[in-house]
Amino acid sequence: MTSNYPWPTIIVPLPVPAGLLIPPLPPPKGGNKIVRRYTLGIRSPEFPPITHTLCYHFESKSPFVQSREDYDWINIPPDFHWRLGIDGLTMGLIPPTGFVTTSATPAARPVTRSPRSFYPSMLAMHSGQVGSFASQDILPPFLVWEPELIPAHSLLRSWGGKRRSYAATKSIPYTAAGGPISLLSGAITMGLYMPGEPALDFRVPADRSHPAALEMVSYLSFPIAYAIKPPILPSHARSPDTHGEAHYSTRMLPAGASSKMGGYGPLRINMESSPSAHSIFAPGLAVVGAIQIVCAASISPNQRSVKRRIAHPPVSHTGFVPIGIGPITEIGPEGAILQMISHGLIGAALSPIGGAGCDRMQTPFLGRMGGIAIPMPKIFILFSSLPIASLALPGMSGSAAESMVSPGIAGSTNRSYDSKIIVLVTAAIGIILTPIHPLSMPRQMPYGYSGVTPAVPRVMDYGPREIFIPIRPLLPVIGIGLYPNAVLSLCQSGIYPISISPEQTAIYPFHSFPPAANKIIVDQ
Amino acid sequence: TKLIYQYARTAPPFPLVSSTLTGLGLFIFPVATNNCRRLYASISTSPSSIAMSIPLHTSWRQLAGDPIHRYPRSWIYNESVASETGYSIDPPTPTTPVLITTAGVMVMIYSDSHMPHDQGYLRFFAYLGLPNAFMLGSVPSPNPMQIHVFRESVGMCPYPSIGPRFTRARAAHACQKASITNRVGDFGSLLGVSGFPRATGSFEFESSSVRLEELLTDRGVSLFPATPCATPLFLGSVAKPAQFPLHVRSPDAMEGPTPIPALIHAATMVAAGIYPVARMFPPSEAPPSMMSSISWVGGLTALLGATIAPAQRDLKRVLAYSTMSQPGYMVLAPGVASYRAAIFHLITHAHSKAPSSSGSGSVIHSVEPVTGYCPDRSQNTAFMGGLRTCMPITGTAFLSGTPPPRGIPPFARFRSKDEIPNDGWLSRPILGWMAWCTAGPTGSHMLRTYLPTFEGYYRANAFGPPRPPASVWEDRRYRASGRGAGFAAGLLPTGCSDTTAAKLPVDRSGGTRSGDSRRGWGSTVTHYSAVEHYKPLLCPKESDDAMLFPLVVPTIPTFPVGSIGVQSPIGLGTGFIDPQPDCWLDLLLNYPRGIIQQDWSELLPDATTSVATALSGILVASILHGRRPILQPPRIDPELEGISGYFPSYLYDWSYYRGYVDRYYNIVPVASVRILAKKAPTPDDWVIDGIVNGVGISGTFGGEALRYAGGGRISHHSPGPILGTPIPLTIVTTGYEHDWSIR
Repeated sequence: MTSNYPWPTIIVPLPVPAGLLIPPLPPPKGGNKIVRRYTLGIRSPEFPPITHTLCYHFESKSPFVQSREDYDWINIPPDFHWRLGIDGLTMGLIPPTGFVTTSATPAARPVTRSPRSFYPSMLAMHSGQVGSFASQDILPPFLVWEPELIPAHSLLRSWGGKRRSYAATKSIPYTAAGGPISLLSGAITMGLYMPGEPALDFRVPADRSHPAALEMVSYLSFPIAYAIKPPILPSHARSPDTHGEAHYSTRMLPAGASSKMGGYGPLRINMESSPSAHSIFAPGLAVVGAIQIVCAASISPNQRSVKRRIAHPPVSHTGFVPIGIGPITEIGPEGAILQMISHGLIGAALSPIGGAGCDRMQTPFLGRMGGIAIPMPKIFILFSSLPIASLALPGMSGSAAESMVSPGIAGSTNRSYDSKIIVLVTAAIGIILTPIHPLSMPRQMPYGYSGVTPAVPRVMDYGPREIFIPIRPLLPVIGIGLYPNAVLSLCQSGIYPISISPEQTAIYPFHSFPPAANKIIVDQ
Repeated sequence: TKLIYQYARTAPPFPLVSSTLTGLGLFIFPVATNNCRRLYASISTSPSSIAMSIPLHTSWRQLAGDPIHRYPRSWIYNESVASETGYSIDPPTPTTPVLITTAGVMVMIYSDSHMPHDQGYLRFFAYLGLPNAFMLGSVPSPNPMQIHVFRESVGMCPYPSIGPRFTRARAAHACQKASITNRVGDFGSLLGVSGFPRATGSFEFESSSVRLEELLTDRGVSLFPATPCATPLFLGSVAKPAQFPLHVRSPDAMEGPTPIPALIHAATMVAAGIYPVARMFPPSEAPPSMMSSISWVGGLTALLGATIAPAQRDLKRVLAYSTMSQPGYMVLAPGVASYRAAIFHLITHAHSKAPSSSGSGSVIHSVEPVTGYCPDRSQNTAFMGGLRTCMPITGTAFLSGTPPPRGIPPFARFRSKDEIPNDGWLSRPILGWMAWCTAGPTGSHMLRTYLPTFEGYYRANAFGPPRPPASVWEDRRYRASGRGAGFAAGLLPTGCSDTTAAKLPVDRSGGTRSGDSRRGWGSTVTHYSAVEHYKPLLCPKESDDAMLFPLVVPTIPTFPVGSIGVQSPIGLGTGFIDPQPDCWLDLLLNYPRGIIQQDWSELLPDATTSVATALSGILVASILHGRRPILQPPRIDPELEGISGYFPSYLYDWSYYRGYVDRYYNIVPVASVRILAKKAPTPDDWVIDGIVNGVGISGTFGGEALRYAGGGRISHHSPGPILGTPIPLTIVTTGYEHDWSIR
């Protein structure tokens, strides 16, 4: 019965109208309790449809898109459709996103200044993120995602540290400028310049063959659009500012969700739509990822602020995503997806402990902390265990992802021996460098003693809320680390169609669900 | 019988669960947990004992000739990789878990009485189970990937377990150092693990070794993919047992509580490094160039450890360096193709190192109330002496731990230590000589620790009255817990400093004004217990039974083990470690016949050289240290005086400065990482941010310019026409002159 409901369309835009109901609520008196509970109330019913969809409308074995919806959006130009759907790739990413954003709501409890505009922005961001994962067309992500930057900017602009205005403004050229232009140009050229009828569906271009030059142009334009979201190499400089200034509940959203977008975009669009260009450019992408790991790992130890330090490991983590996407094997992209999931969860755990820790110690600067292990044992335990989780301790999800990515790249067939060695060695150097800062942070903060006594008037350890928020994402991190199959079995069906090489595509044309796509045009 | 194999997988979770329980209890109910700390400690200990019984039983069954059991299950399901976890139990497998779990349980019992006063007591117990659990998961693993994963976890274990001593800055640095050096090993082992299946075509040990053998027998085929893949795999084995370039963490890790070296460094880490080498590269099948590099690293480490140890005065550091040279032997051994000796040495090493390290812990524990809690004093052998009369059991156990490293015939290490140089001479003579040279010094330095510590007379009081503990936090901690000897203390900002201690008014009888005038600590500072403990104990007391039990028990097997023939007639088993490492057990159980005599007769000529070197080492040690030790000031400055003229000073300097390795470590990797961290943000700040900020600024400037231009004031407009007119005019006129005009 319920299978007739358009679940993806219900899931995606629901938070926006719900959020718009917040401003008319009665003005809060000295707190944000009503608004916060309302938001949580919106998010909690948001989660069951996701789960419901996962349980009843999703067959993990099928490589096809399920719960597919296709509505005409604009009729005049051909093929501007609202296409949503769920497949393995999507299903690996939407539940973690919902999970993380839900726990961002209690994290935002300290935000008491104008909560009636804070919470709608958070809800709108959530909608945009889920929407871009669920879309099966080049258009919807543009429709839901680029507007998502507006709440993101306002969240960053209005609530946060001293330099938040600079950080918010800085995020605009990084995110907004690259995004629409390249996305649109790439998409439209790709979709419209077709031998057959124009199509913007993700899987239709995959089944057609294009002029090589066009494919390369569009291939290169997508990373520009997407690389900005997760900080991939040239644009990683935005991340520390954003993360250093925003409130930690705000930070959980980009760390947990929109960073995934950047890995998801190349995976979905680049690998799926332009496989031949992918096989050319992927080794380069992997090199970029490897450099990024080393780069972030080496920048991080020099940061004096805890918040800025914590902003860097996610950059290192996302470096594994382009590396994993590179090889045309199955295990590489699977590792990349696992890395995206684990990165989101770990980021969502690190941000609150960093932010709340700074709040408790009333300074973000490491030099002014020290010797808190005994007065604040709970902060100590969280600060010494969670950052260690971020360096891919075995048994945590990051380790599982890394141990999939590396054999993936070693076993890939589409690259030379030298490039494999370069990527592997660089990534492994990153493995040496990454633990330096999560290990040195507890050394400076709770361990040892600095000449300066902690700037805390009286001992204030973490409260239950501050413990609960980071622990909650940590549990799935451990779960995935111990048994990655639980997530991989969901994602595998989504990976399978995109990970086969172009030659195989010609032999097994199994993206054959839309009738139009059955016409495989081969003009070589 | 099948049941026990099926339940063998429950062995690793046992210590893990107990650790998790303790950790959670500590986290959620800190006060209650701290109140029933002994209960939690016993909770931690008992699952480890259960976990100990499982490998014991399986190893017994395997020796009785059970078939190999294998229980794979998929971890990452993928057609192309099929990375399976699980465990396989074959005859060589359970010996190492037996070793690890026995050591673990002993250490748990030991640390229960070693650190009850410590505030980090329970935290320490929570961490203590982890290396056991990880090693139990690593050893029976059927593929290198699982070994890598668990080994990486073991590598992170020193961090939290040195951590309890975090109040000392040196310990805090040491735990970071230990983890990062281990991480260097993981770097290699990750590379190797990713590349190895690519080179050999399989993740499993058996098939990959078959494939390697094919590669090697086909001499025409290039070893190119195999060697570069296998060599980094070995790097993990360099890092874990602290081999040459990465050995620097081992002495620093001695900053941790004493049970840590006993457990992690004597048993777990060494096993984590050596076992995979022996497992992954069966004798005939390893690429030869790699094997030679392995053995060179081992030989260098052994030599380095043997030469550095003599000048160390710190009881634990001597131990660290002597421990370092033993794994050197073990790493050298597979390189010269004596696998059996390597594994055998591993086992005997752990069992004979346990009494030494727990003995030293017991000594330090008893000496601390007398000399003060500063490690520079309480661990310094210069302050000890004559302890055998005060603590006879510890002394005897320590003494029984000293001969085995020397390889004296009835003791355990004799067989392996004898075999390694011999094999070395056969395959690579230089390494043989190296191993042989090392045997002498290693023989001497445990004894030269024993002699000044336990013989002679007690010297701690010879340098004046006992001094207060100098570290702020140690002191604060003892005061807070109200136990131990809370000496009257000042707030000393740095470590032990003689000047401040000398300035401190020492009041032996009452401690009425002990230090309370200093630095505004107020009169409430001195805990009442300080008063009763303040009168100097003139002689340390013997440790209690719970500490002595784990001290004595591991010494027992060291005696018979050495006298049993290592060389067994046949290997029974799978053939990928062909000479069984546990043939000695095999002999003990199944073949009590004349092999031993036959062995002895042919063994004696081989043994003479090594015994002779070892004996000469003992001789040197007893000459140097056997007589009444020379009273020396506690802080020896080698720049000023050599060690009383016995050594040439440069040799002494080499030894005192730890072979200068630490100095170069500070120069090369540490400084370079620091510089990198300083320089790395530069391109971000200047180039990438520069572009973005430049866009912003140019927007502002452009806007301003437009505003002026559009503002409507003549004075803002006028530069435009004034400047603008001549330029086009010139162009037009020159164009006219040259006839460029568009027709």
